[in-house]
Amino acid sequence: MPFDQALRFASIWLASTSFIGLTLGAGLPEWLAVLTGAALIVALLRNAGGKSVGRLATHTLMSTTGWNLLVIVGFLGFWVDMLWVSGELLPAGVHFLMILMIIKLFNLKLRRDYLHLYAISLVAILASGSLTTDLWYLPIFLLYLFVGVWTLLLFQLTKHPEEPRILTMSVAMRPQPLAPVSQVTPQFFWLANGLALATFGLTLVIFFTIPRVGAGFYQKGFGENIRTSGFSETVNLGEIGPIKRDPSVVMRVELSDGPPQEAGRLYLRGVAFDQYDGKAWTNRLNYRRAVSEDAVGTFVLRSSRSLATPRLGDTIRQNILLEPLDTPVLFAAPLVERVSGKFPSVQSDLTGSVYLPFPSSSRIEYSVLSRSNPVLPEDLGAEPSVYPESVIRHFLQIPSQPERIAVLAKEITHTQRTIYDKATAIHSFLTHNFRYSLDAPLTEQDQPLEEFLFTRKTGYCEHYATAMVIMLRTIGIPARLVTGFLATEWNEYGNYYVVRQQDAHAWVEVHLPHSGWITMDPTPPSIESIGSGSPAWHALGRMLDTIRLQWGRFFVQYSAADQLAVVRELRAGSTSARNKAFDSISTLFSPFIAMFGGMAGYASKGTIQSLAEVLVPTLIGLAVLLWLGIRRPWSKGMISKRTTRDEQVIMQLYGRMIGHLARKGLAKLAATPPLEFVRLTQERWSNAGSAVASITDLYCRARFGQIPPTREELALAEDHLRNLMTLEKP
Amino acid sequence: MLRQSPSFLQRMFRHRSTSVTSEGVQFLLFTVAIGIAAINTGNNLFYLLLAMMLSLVLISGIAAEYCLRRLEFHRHLPDHLIVNEPTTATLVVKNRKSQFPSFSLKLFDVSDSRKLDRGLEIRQLLPGISQLLSYPLVATRRGRLQLDGVCVGTEFPFGLFMKQTYYPINETVIVCPEIKPIDERLLQGLLAAGPDQSVHRRGHGNDLYNLRLYHAGDDSRKIHWPTTARTSQLTVRETEAEDQRRAVLYLPTVAPVSHDALFEEAVSLTASIIQYLAHRGYMLQLFVGSSRSSFGQGDLHLLELLRMLALCERCSPHAESVVSKDPSRDALEVEGGAMIVVQSWRGPGDIKPEQPTIMINGRLIAGASHAV
Repeated sequence: MPFDQALRFASIWLASTSFIGLTLGAGLPEWLAVLTGAALIVALLRNAGGKSVGRLATHTLMSTTGWNLLVIVGFLGFWVDMLWVSGELLPAGVHFLMILMIIKLFNLKLRRDYLHLYAISLVAILASGSLTTDLWYLPIFLLYLFVGVWTLLLFQLTKHPEEPRILTMSVAMRPQPLAPVSQVTPQFFWLANGLALATFGLTLVIFFTIPRVGAGFYQKGFGENIRTSGFSETVNLGEIGPIKRDPSVVMRVELSDGPPQEAGRLYLRGVAFDQYDGKAWTNRLNYRRAVSEDAVGTFVLRSSRSLATPRLGDTIRQNILLEPLDTPVLFAAPLVERVSGKFPSVQSDLTGSVYLPFPSSSRIEYSVLSRSNPVLPEDLGAEPSVYPESVIRHFLQIPSQPERIAVLAKEITHTQRTIYDKATAIHSFLTHNFRYSLDAPLTEQDQPLEEFLFTRKTGYCEHYATAMVIMLRTIGIPARLVTGFLATEWNEYGNYYVVRQQDAHAWVEVHLPHSGWITMDPTPPSIESIGSGSPAWHALGRMLDTIRLQWGRFFVQYSAADQLAVVRELRAGSTSARNKAFDSISTLFSPFIAMFGGMAGYASKGTIQSLAEVLVPTLIGLAVLLWLGIRRPWSKGMISKRTTRDEQVIMQLYGRMIGHLARKGLAKLAATPPLEFVRLTQERWSNAGSAVASITDLYCRARFGQIPPTREELALAEDHLRNLMTLEKP
Repeated sequence: MLRQSPSFLQRMFRHRSTSVTSEGVQFLLFTVAIGIAAINTGNNLFYLLLAMMLSLVLISGIAAEYCLRRLEFHRHLPDHLIVNEPTTATLVVKNRKSQFPSFSLKLFDVSDSRKLDRGLEIRQLLPGISQLLSYPLVATRRGRLQLDGVCVGTEFPFGLFMKQTYYPINETVIVCPEIKPIDERLLQGLLAAGPDQSVHRRGHGNDLYNLRLYHAGDDSRKIHWPTTARTSQLTVRETEAEDQRRAVLYLPTVAPVSHDALFEEAVSLTASIIQYLAHRGYMLQLFVGSSRSSFGQGDLHLLELLRMLALCERCSPHAESVVSKDPSRDALEVEGGAMIVVQSWRGPGDIKPEQPTIMINGRLIAGASHAV
């Protein structure tokens, strides 16, 4: 492909890339997106050589004055858009930018026009960067970088399109053919991509080392917070249901102590409720107090040392990456002892829920140390227990429900002696006798709990949990409803739990006299929550999520603090820094490492066949790539393609000459070199010697010296051949 | 080590210079704008774009450096040049790199620390390949033309910067004075002067010089048979040498500064006369100031005389060292031949004439202008 055409292609691709970026990020109006897309397609078709398209476009398009008028109209439209339609500078500017891009795409005539298009595309990709932080920006950016390098390279190489004014002559010191300099050759292809790759590598280095200085004259949060429900002070029964179908990721939870056991479920506690009025739960113990700060950024809620009896429960250390939500609740496994993060302060209420002072508008990362309460042996005994007054006052409240719930509870538990056994009996009753469904229309009912327990026997977590709490309270066992998330989706590539909106959950905390609050979840496992896609598809989704996480961690949220941490590590010691660097790189490439780990796992499990299915094509592919890299068969192809028409003519003439001589009894053996054959011919048929020598000379020059014969030389060779054919061999 | 560092850096960047192209200026302005936006917003994606643009700048420098490295230049110039007479110079460029081609090379001749754009460009030079470029070279001043080296620049890869480096190839070539057509009256004077002053001498030629008796060893083909028959004695014919026409040219170099242009004209006129006479077979001797050549003939002698004229310099009248005696008498006494004096200044009382004064054998050729 000639450089000029390649430049036009690359320029349009550059504009297309920035357009895609802007469309994904800004959500352009449909008419504008369609118009710009159509303009790009027409421009591509025109450049692809569609003469009819080009002619049509030329005839139907406007004159220069028309385009200029359109620019003015677009500019006026920008003001109207900014003042009345969009009401903001950025969207209006983006719309005007697209109009300019359309106009420029149809006016790519001068080099200046190309520069304008590049400037527009640069502003567009910049605008899309200001409008999003999603993972899709990464491939768009990479594409933009590669196409940008191609474009700039071609723009430079087409800077002097005219032939040199002076006589130039090439002298090859070694017999290597000169590549055509105005065509995109394979060498040029690799050169451009190599430069792009080098640019990308350098970009990463500069990105991570460039000092982060935020002056903050114009700072803006990214996007809107995720709307969630179930974590305010009052929650209507059934409120969680609608969000149970939303797959948006709300947080990712890493466990410091390694991956959980198989089929592990991690409860991430949010808010606890004490009061139920028959339709809604309310947290009356919502008075928040500031949590004391132990060290910088570390807030201690319950210190093990401060307790009279040492706690025996398992500790869970979590590192949580919480997306911006519309609630200030900090989620963590029950029960929180210590929270660490870059927070100005942390608050806690009397139910042990943890809050930020206000909802965060950006992603936050924090670490939590939690310790669950085990069921102590004292609570398994039959001795009667006495609850503290505060517990009785708050956690035994029941609404004015019909007696039959209490009757049902007593009926279930009358054979049980201990509090724990009674709670377990109710838990078991609910788990085994009711059906889980998100489609239960209980919200509209006057008495949703009775409807759930006695009529429909179908519901979801809130109904199960509410039923258990109320049943427990009717038999005098303090209990409370807790909302939060139930993490079940373990990402083996990134070693973390992915928690989505649909994982929102409600469960029960039962107070045992000696053990304290213990978690019980009467909701049976949901069949609906299991996706219908194939495992491979899910695995791909998890891998993508890991990449998204790393993108967010290493690119979107990379900050001056991270840079300082790196510097500190470097100062602290090279070994530590090396380990950290290794860890970071391992984290970055963890999806791929995990994939290979999975393959090794398959192998160890004996699934050699499945491993071979993956490995063999991979190895074959690598071998082919290696062979291509070493042998470069395309270069041979290119040489043959570069063989000019004149070279082909002399080769044909030579072939005809050899054939004619063979018919005359002078057959050329394959092992005989051309010049040797000339000598033999001159010895045996002296009259033919000069003609054969002349044609052979031209043939050798073209075939081995890459010097094509001139038209005059070809005409002469044809004459020689004609004469040769008229000669009679003695 | 401390003393070595600057010299290493000097060696590294000795002949490097970088200028920003118009596209580069726009690119840098965008880079600055994105940098400001990144600092203002703290948006890491802006930082990513900024890093991309900065890396493009760095890659530009690295790729351009590779393009300009390990090139080899050979310049081929003629033995001498003549002012305002175009000649062809050739420049061979070889890429001595084993892997990387060089792209978009723009070549400049460097003379007296000035870059001379000859319009030499090479789009692509593959590794190990040489390319021969030829270009017209016109000297505008007589004397020594010093070509210091070749400056080679490239805008590769992105056209943002023009990086240049300098390869020294010292070449000196003598530029002879301009040869101009000679005025008709001066031509007549020259043609008249030559034969009058010719000296008859034996030599190889066609005209008869003498008849003498045959001596053993004489060429039998030279026997003059009519005389031999008439005198009954073997007589041989001697011929007259054809190079009998001689001329001595004298170019005084003493002239004030105000006569500088006139002196240059005198030099050019002298060269034109020498060229004219040499082509007509004259034996010539040249006096330039105090230096003199021998009598001689032929192309080599002509070149020697032109070199003398190329390198002569005007001397101010007060300089004692330049006062020389009039060579005409000595020359005539010793060698004979026409005496041609080309003067740009005739003494302190000389009003600046419009053209040099020419005297042939002491006779002033009035109003003779050598330029047609």
